[in-house]
This record gives sequence, structure tokens and C-alpha cells, in this order.
Amino acid sequence: MEIIPIIVEDDAKTCNSIVSIDLTHSPPPKPKQIADNMVVDSPEFPVKRTITSTGGSRISTTQMIKEEEAEEGKDCYVGNDNYNSAKKPRISFSEYLVATNANVLSEKDPQVLNFVKKEAVDISEVESEPVLDVEPISVFNAVKTVVKSEKIDGSGTGFTVNPVHVKRENDTVDEKPKLVKPVSVFNAVKFEKIDESGTGFTVNPVHVKKENVTVDEKPKLVKPISSVPSSVYGSNISKKDSNLGKKGQRVVEEKKVSLEGIENGDFKEEPDWLLVGRTAITGLSTTKGRKLEDNEIVHFAFPNGEIKTKSSYWANSRGAAAACGIVRFSTKRSGEIGRLPMEWSKCLIPLVNSKKVKVLGRCVAAPVNLSMMQEIMLYISFYIHHSIFTEDGNCSWKLDSPSNIDTTIYPLLTLFKLLKKSPFQKAEFTPEELDSRKRALNFENELNAAASVLTRAKGQKGGQPLLLEPNKDAQVLTESSLNKLVGAADMYNLEEMDPPTTLTCDLRPYQKQALYWMTESEKGVDVEKAEETLHPCWAAYRICDERATAIYVNIFSGEATTKFPKATQMARGGILADAMGLGKTVMTISLILARPHQGIRENEDETESDEKNETYETNMSKRPQGGTLIICPMALLSQWKDELETHSEPNSISVFVHYGGDRSTDPRVIAEPTVVLTTYGVLSASYKSHGENSIFQKVDWYRVVLDEAHTIKSSRSQCAQAAFALSSYCRWCLTGTPLQNNLEDLYSLLCFLHVEPWCNWAWWNKLIQKPYENGDKRGLKLVKAILRPLMLRRTKDTKDKEGRPILVLPPTDIQIIECEQSEAEHDFYDALFRRSKVQFDQFVAQGKVLHNYANILELLLRLRQCCNHPFLVMSRGDSQQFSDLNKLARRFLDNNLDSSTPNPSKAYIEEVVNDLKKGENTECPICLESADDPVLTPCAHRMCRECLLSSWRSLTHGLCPICRQNLRKTDLITCPSESKFRVDVEKNWKESSKVLKLLECLDNIRRKGCGEKSIVFSQWTSFLDLLEIPLKSRKIGFLRFDGSLSQKNREKTLKEFSETSDKMVLLMSLKAGGVGLNLTAASNVFLMDPWWNPAVEEQAIMRIHRIGQKRTVCVRRFIVKDTVEERMQQVQARKQRMIAGALTDEEVRSARLEELKMLFR
Amino acid sequence: MANSNLPRRIIKETQRLLSEPAPGISASPSEDNMRYFNVMILGPSQSPYEGGVFKLELFLPEEYPMAAPKVRFLTKIYHPNIDKLGRICLDILKDKWSPALQIRTVLLSIQALLSAPNPDDPLSENIAKHWKSNEAEAVETAKEWTRLYASGA
Repeated sequence: MEIIPIIVEDDAKTCNSIVSIDLTHSPPPKPKQIADNMVVDSPEFPVKRTITSTGGSRISTTQMIKEEEAEEGKDCYVGNDNYNSAKKPRISFSEYLVATNANVLSEKDPQVLNFVKKEAVDISEVESEPVLDVEPISVFNAVKTVVKSEKIDGSGTGFTVNPVHVKRENDTVDEKPKLVKPVSVFNAVKFEKIDESGTGFTVNPVHVKKENVTVDEKPKLVKPISSVPSSVYGSNISKKDSNLGKKGQRVVEEKKVSLEGIENGDFKEEPDWLLVGRTAITGLSTTKGRKLEDNEIVHFAFPNGEIKTKSSYWANSRGAAAACGIVRFSTKRSGEIGRLPMEWSKCLIPLVNSKKVKVLGRCVAAPVNLSMMQEIMLYISFYIHHSIFTEDGNCSWKLDSPSNIDTTIYPLLTLFKLLKKSPFQKAEFTPEELDSRKRALNFENELNAAASVLTRAKGQKGGQPLLLEPNKDAQVLTESSLNKLVGAADMYNLEEMDPPTTLTCDLRPYQKQALYWMTESEKGVDVEKAEETLHPCWAAYRICDERATAIYVNIFSGEATTKFPKATQMARGGILADAMGLGKTVMTISLILARPHQGIRENEDETESDEKNETYETNMSKRPQGGTLIICPMALLSQWKDELETHSEPNSISVFVHYGGDRSTDPRVIAEPTVVLTTYGVLSASYKSHGENSIFQKVDWYRVVLDEAHTIKSSRSQCAQAAFALSSYCRWCLTGTPLQNNLEDLYSLLCFLHVEPWCNWAWWNKLIQKPYENGDKRGLKLVKAILRPLMLRRTKDTKDKEGRPILVLPPTDIQIIECEQSEAEHDFYDALFRRSKVQFDQFVAQGKVLHNYANILELLLRLRQCCNHPFLVMSRGDSQQFSDLNKLARRFLDNNLDSSTPNPSKAYIEEVVNDLKKGENTECPICLESADDPVLTPCAHRMCRECLLSSWRSLTHGLCPICRQNLRKTDLITCPSESKFRVDVEKNWKESSKVLKLLECLDNIRRKGCGEKSIVFSQWTSFLDLLEIPLKSRKIGFLRFDGSLSQKNREKTLKEFSETSDKMVLLMSLKAGGVGLNLTAASNVFLMDPWWNPAVEEQAIMRIHRIGQKRTVCVRRFIVKDTVEERMQQVQARKQRMIAGALTDEEVRSARLEELKMLFR
Repeated sequence: MANSNLPRRIIKETQRLLSEPAPGISASPSEDNMRYFNVMILGPSQSPYEGGVFKLELFLPEEYPMAAPKVRFLTKIYHPNIDKLGRICLDILKDKWSPALQIRTVLLSIQALLSAPNPDDPLSENIAKHWKSNEAEAVETAKEWTRLYASGA
């Protein structure tokens, strides 16, 4: 969203005022040399590696370098070990390493060696020569500090500090400026600056104190703090005015601990904090002068990560961001010393701010005389708070990263990496593996080929669909490419599990394998090992503290826990992706019978701990416990019910269909039965209107099964969201096509199954989607790896252990029947074709082919229909008799008289009825197509039945989309279907060549007399209407199955078709019969018109060629010679090639154009 | 990707919008997302917005036409039913949506809303108050804003 102008204006005002104040108070320009210094130190130049640890920095004045060199020279000769050890019981660095059990430092590290060598010398020097700071340096320091803060302040950086403190300091300066002596003037300036900047510098109180001491001491000879007796402090305070006194006191309190000066004692052992590890880190100094002793404890200041919004308007935002990422360290005695390297800062800041990690450190090798940008060796210990281990024993700890959620870098992991801790148990999937290009990947060629099968999202940007028909099925993958893509094992070495006794049918061996696999999957991923197997997304680390055995970090989400993340915590369930016709339904039923598990949870004896289970258990008391919820497309509802009832022993399970009219809203009702059946439509409608409170969401299911799970392939759809929101112990997806169009389809399934980390879009996108779209084959390889444990997919070609096919089905006999048009037919077609071609050529000439896509499809549609039967496109005749229309009109007018609701006028109704009489099929106001299966509302509005019903939230009633009148489903009037035809087809009936061929085939079958049944598929119900005429006249018993059938009638029709012997033919529309149906009663398939995509035809054939089919399946495709149908076949073949190659947007566009031109050739 | 499964209805509506635009309204789909439209509405005559060219954005959600399109003014406008983010208080965009409505009808409704501000059902309390207490002055402000923000384009 854009910022609206008003706000911008307001901000601009504020911004201006800040700037102006800042300008008026701006200090006099600083000497250039100093400024240079600061540039180097500013956050934009964080590290200057060229500076040696002992040498002077290059930015120092030459004088300083000389001094330093001189002192360094001294270092080498002045050394008194006896004095040193006698005076202070300090340990050398190497001893220190031993004592602290530090194995982190590598001896080979040249820097470390350097320090270790130097260390003894340094110590002796420090001890033998009490520090005597000479005035110039001290003053210089002060000036520098001032300049520094200004600089920082200018660039928007800031220490975070106690603002109250700063304020008070400021007051003092304002009220009694004369009391303050020279050095402290600098100090004052500094604070003044701070105040203006508004960035709230927090200055360590100790720091301030030190300055005070300086003030009261002779400025020219500053004694080392360590030698100042404590009484001095007292007297200092008493001399000051009340303001200063207050401040002083406060400071003294804080200082007490380290009155002795150098703070170098041992760190207290704190039982709450567990040592993670120790390491040497080279910090960089940000100050000059002698301030640091070996072994002196340093304190770290962490920015809290919040940039004040005010400052961001005028400060350089990049600088501000950089300042947020700097960890500074100071000593109690000297204030700020330096800062940590960026890589450490970055990971430590969020960790420390989370209050779960603590950092303690000391300096192990201080340079004698500190100069800017000098390296300081620190030895730092990292502690982690015990609370992450003990909170309920199963707390998982996740940093709330303020940065964007898409980040895939996690601070704790970075810390471990920096500490050179490697996991003793690595995660199975690691981002590095996937990121690094080094990893050798051997792909089967097959996979390479498959990779290009999926249409790339990249290639689809070009406005219109890739394929000719903007039909959802248009891009369906063929089964073989799917196999290549997701992999179908040729052989599974799975155990077989005997089905439960309540199952009344026999299972085939591969189905028993599936039962075993599904049962195991519900127990966990790998049953024998799951308990001991680390969750593949987690890595195990050991930390130094022995009280904690290990710490587990989820390398994908950054979550940390000490509780062993078992592999069982992964999704229970999976994807049963056996190819169509292998009996997924029966396998699922056997699973339900084997493990009904209603009300009994497995996790009662397991000690489940992940969060979801936690909520699951705590909610147990309140929420009703359901059995198995099966969600399927509406067409399959009755089939599921039938199969559940026929395959299970009576009374072994209860089945409840939650669909239709008066559905209960009481979750207890649907929690009661063993199995609840519902449709995707009901699920999403319920979710849409009630959200998390919908009846399905209120139940804790034992198992949720999505049949034809690719229905939820679009993860953002209401339907998918509703499915994701279901609470369930086990989740199953049944689908023959886990991937339909796009790799993303799979993401949705993984989301539903709660497969971590892939249900997190950031990871999916980063590691799979993006690589895949960029042509990196590893994306697909990973998909295969993810799916391997999660998916069971066999095809009809899968072999069993002995190498026999798992399923022996009768063969199929597929033939294309070429029809030749009669002369009259051909003339008609030709006329239509020429007319269409003129129009098409016009579009081509205007260069507007792709803009008129819909129009062109319309032209093609007419041509294709013409191939089936010219009647389908013939102009209207007036000979029709609509006896029922008058009845209809009367009904409207009757309604008008006795109804109180506002009704349409008589004139309007008459107009509508007249339209109907004329056969005028108006456009549906919802889909804007000429209404398919139109209905008439009591308010006399016409629209597609489908469109109207889908606009309702309820299945039985809703509002009229036109006039918002309340309608009931039972009030709808089906418009007379005869109006589809514009000639009296029955009177003038004449077979087209295609119809003739079909009738020939049917006659042949009838003559054979073996009772073979046939299914006739067409994509146009109007063609099915036409086919009824010759079937009737030839006394061939037939049934009709299309979208206009109610659910009840669908069941009835299918039952009648399979059980009676007089109905030999089933006329079926593709849309209605595409999925899930079991049509094995028939063995002849007639595909009357070619579909754009062969995968759709394949699906239709599968309805017949599946388990239970005992005869050879004869498939006949009808193609009319020398027509658009024949060329569609060519386009079809071409398209297969096209999809296989990776095409650019431009190529796809031109290809589409070519394709169209080909059709109009 | 957003375009791969564009329903026929959207294609048809778009074609019609382009071929027979409604008077005073232009709507064209974005190049890379056919569900996103750049819309311009001319301020209706005899309204305080006369002479202004108002830019809007319109997005057809996944569920369209079963769910209302999302429309927002991009041009600043002083109107009691339009807030400072450009959001529009119009029943047909909310609970009164019907799938029989189209992009065209929605935009016409918005145009009508410009002609007939309704301070009794306000989205922007301040402007509505202004409108009710001193309509003449409010209309002046609206004219002023139209001149300031909606005349450049």
C-alpha cells in the first residue's frame, strides 16, 4: 500500500523541524584530520584487517605511531616474571586456555600463536610499569570521544543507553557550567550532542564516573584508576553540587564491585546458565589510549534492535541499520573499548536480546597502548539459559525475528557455526547441500526429461493460457510424465499386512502392502526406528556444559529445543498416489477398518511432545473426538458410501453422510460415527461461513482423508484453506495425480499433511520452486526425496517381488475410426469453415489473434460441433412446439396473484416465455456464456443451474443474483432442454457420418450378443441429446449421465446401468464422468469427439479399464477426415513436443499463433 | 501464473470493457496480471468532482465472480464514503455483492457514488461531519481537492 499523501506531508513537516533544530545546534567544524579518523571508524567501514595486532594503526598521527613503537620496544626488554607472578595471581593465556577447557581455539591459527607468544611480555610490561598517561593523549582521547559521538550521531548510529542518565548530565552542564573543568567540558559537549541527536546514547555510568575523576584530579597527570583509593571517590562526591552528587552516588554504587580497578576475577558459576562454548574472538578497538589489561573482563553492549522512527527521517538509514548491528564492548574502568566483528554481532544481537543467551568475555591479549582499529583478542564464553531446557521439558524455542519472515538464516545456527561446533547428528536435509553447487548430483536422464514436462511457471506469464482450450484440464499431465516426475517405483519391497476380519472382500497382495504401509505411516515414519531417529529437519549439537546432553536446532525454522525431536513427530499419513484403478478406495477402507481408533489416541501411551500434539491433548477434554472424515468430490459420495457398506461387515462401522439439505451444525453429531463422508463443497462452504468455528473444525478427527486430493492443489483457495485448518491425528491424500499442472500443486498437499519444513512457503519456494523454475534439477530431486517416505505410488505396470505385474487387467484395444463426411455434410462444413477462416484471417491481418482468443475458440467450437452433427450449429427454425412453455407461463402468472413477495410484471414474464418459445438462449449473467442447462427462477431470471447454485452459500436456498430475492432450490424451473436445438431435430432427423459409424459399432456389439455394454462420451450434452434420437428409434436401451443429474439420480443411473441388461448404452458427458467413477460394467468406450488434451481421454478410459474389468476394453475414437478434428490431432502431437521443450514467453506466443493457423489451414 | 487459469468470464468481461467502454470509465488489465485492472473514472458532471480524472485499482480475487472485486481509489479524493487510503464504502463491494454484477457495473456504481455522496453511511468520519455541518464548504473542499489531485492526469 502506498503511503497516502497526507501522512507524507505531515512527516515532511516533522522532518523539517528536526533538521532545523539540528542545524542550529550544530557544533563548529572539527579539524579535518580527526574527521578522517572517524570516517574510518564509522560503521560503513567496519573492519580494517590490514592493521596488525600490535602495530599502530595507519590512521593514527605519526607522533602516536612513534610513541607506540617506542613503548613496544620497551615491552621487549622490560619484563620481570617474578614480580609479575608475585604481585598478582594471574594466569597466562595458555594456562587460561587449559583452565577454561577451551578446545575451540585452533593452535594452528597464526593469530592465536602470535598472541600466545606475546602474552607473557604484555603482562609483565603492564605490571611492572604503572600506567602514567601523559596529558596529550588523555586530552586527545577526550576530544576524540566527543568527535566520535558526533560522527556517529550524524550518521544515525547510536549506543543504547539510559536516557535519564544522559538527561541529568545535561542539566548539570546547563546549570553550573563553571563548575566543570576543562576535560569535562568535552564531556559536556558530548552529552549535549547526544541529547540533540535524540538517539539516546547510553553511556556506561562507569564511563561517566571516570570522566568525573579526571575532572577532579589534576588533568595533566591522570593516575590509573586502579591506583585511586576508594576514599577519593567519596571526597569527589562531597565536593560536587547536589546534582553531580546524586549522579556520583549512583555511579559509586554501580562501581563498588570493581573498586579495585581492573575487573579480572573469575566469572561466577551461575546455575541458570549453561555454557555453550568458548572461543577467542578478535575485536577491534574503537578508542585509543591505554585502557585495557590482559584478563580484564569486558562487558558487551547490545543494541536492542529498535531504531527510533523519528531518527530514521533525518539520519542516514543505512548507517542506522548498521549501528543496530554493532556489539560494543567496554571495561568498567575505561568505558568503551571496541567492537565485535560483524559476523559475531549479527548472530549475537538477536540471541542476547531474546534473553536466552548470555555472553561473558575478557580480554586475553590487550595491546599495550590501544590505538584505533587495533585488534584485541577476547576470550568469550557463551551461555544459554536453562529455561529452554526445563520449561515443561518440551519447550521449543524460536526467536522472533524482527526481520522479514522469509529469512532462512538463523542466529543460533550461525553461532554454532562460528563456534566451529558441528552437529554430532546432522539433519537429513540441509540447506547448504541444496545451496552449494559443489554437490555432485547424478540424475537419471529420465528425471531430466521429466523436468521439462511440467510447464514452467516462468513460461506462463504471457497473459493467455498456454494451450488452446482455456480449460482446467488442458494442462493435465499424462500419466507417464507424471511417473517420471514424481517417480513410481517399479517394485516395492513392502510387507503385506492381513486385512482386518471386518473387511469382507479379499485384498490383492499389493493392496495388502498398501495397508501395511499406511498402517506404519500412521504410527510414524519408520516404525522401528522412528523413536531413535532424529527428525530429518533437526540437527543435534553438543554444548560444553555437561548438564545438558544435547541441543537440537531445526535448521529450517531456527527453532531450538533440548527435547529429542523424533521422526514420529512428522506428519502421520501421506499420499496414496496409486494410479487410477488400483483400488485406493478399498485400501483406505481396509485401513479404516484396521484402525478405526475412534476416541482412542495413540499418543496416550506415547509421550508426544510437539506443540501440535500438545494443543491436541489439552483440547481433548473440550472438543469432540471424531473418527475418520472423508472428503471427496460430490460425484463420488455415493460410491464411497456403497463401498464402505459393502466391504465392511455389518455393524462394524457406522457411516454418516454429511451432505445435502438439513445438515446438523452440532459437531458431536459428526464426531459420533466411525466414518463421516462429505464433499469439498460442503467443507469449504462451512469454512467460508464459520471459519475456525465451522462444524468440521470443531472436531478433533482421528483421520482425515482427502479423496482426489488434487482438488486442493491451489493452496490459496478456500477449499484448501479449509482442509489445512482441520485438526487431525492422521492425514491422507488419495490421488492418482498428485501433480496436475504445476509443481506448486504438491506444495498444497504437503501443507495439508503438515510436512515440515516444506509446508513453509519460504522453504518450499527457496529450495524447490525457485530452483525448479530456474531449471535447476535439484529442485525436482528434492521433491523426490521428500516424497519417497511420504508417498506410495504404483501403476498398473508396477511389478511385484517376483517381477509379475501387480495387477493383471484385460488388454485395451484402441482404434481410431475415420469417418468420411457425406457430400451434403461436407458442403455444410465447408461453408462454415470458409466463413470462420475469413474471420480468422481478419484477426491475423490485424495482428489481433491473441486478443480475440475467445472468439477464435468459439469459431473452432462451431467447426468441431459441425463434425459431430451439423444440427448442432444449424440456424433456428420456428417449427418447434413448446407445449410445456405455456404451462410455465401460467405458473408464473398464478404465482403473481397469490404471492406477497414482489414479483416480476406480467409483461416481463411474457417476454421471457416468448424468448424461451423462440428458443432464444440468453447469456447467463454469471458465466457470461450462453446458459448451459439453464434454470428459471420464480422471479423470471435465467442462468446456468451450476452458476446459480455455486453462488449460494447453502445447498438448498440463496438469493437471486439479479434481484436478491430469496430462492429455494425447489422453486427453480428447468428451462425446456429442447430449446437447445434450433431445428426440430426429431422430425428432420438425419444421421451424420459420425453418428452412423457409432450406430454401426453398437449394432455389431449387439449382434455379438455377449451382453457387452458401451459408454459413449462426448463433451457436448447437446450432442448426447441428438444421439438419443437414433438410439430410441433403434430400440437400443440407453441411460444418460450428465451434470444436470442430481446426486441421487446419478447413483440410480449407475446402478441401473450395471445391474440391468436392457440398458446397454450409457451416454455420458466428459465433465460429469471424468473422475472417480467406476464404470467397469461396460467394456466398450466411444470417444465421439477429440479432446484437446489426451490426458483427459486417458482419464475417461481409466474409468472403464480398472479393477473389476473382466473383458478386453475396446476404445474407439471418432475423427472426421479432412476437418479441424484431424488437424487437432496434429496440434495435439505438436503440443506434446512443445511442452517437452522449454520455451520462452515469446516462443510460446508464436507457437500458439502457429497452432491456430494450423487449424485454419 | 495468475493468468494461466483465467476464467472465461474474466476474459469476456475484459474484452467487452475494452471494446465497448462505459462512458467516463476506462479499465484495462495489467500486462502481467490479467486480474489486476488500472481504472480511470471521470468525475461526473454537476458533482464536485467534475473535471477530475480519478485513478483506481481493481483486483479480481481468485473466487471472482463469487466474491466481489477489490477496488480502491489511487487518486486522493474528498468524499464521505471514501477514506484516505482510497477504500470505498459501497455495499455491493461487501455484503451486497452478487455474481451477476460485473466490473463494469461496479465501476458505474462508483461513478454514481461520486455524484451522490452519502454522509449518513460514512467511511471517513471527518469528511462526513464536514459534509453534514456545512455542505457548501465541504463541496468546495472536494472541488479544491479535485483541482489539486485529480486534474494533472
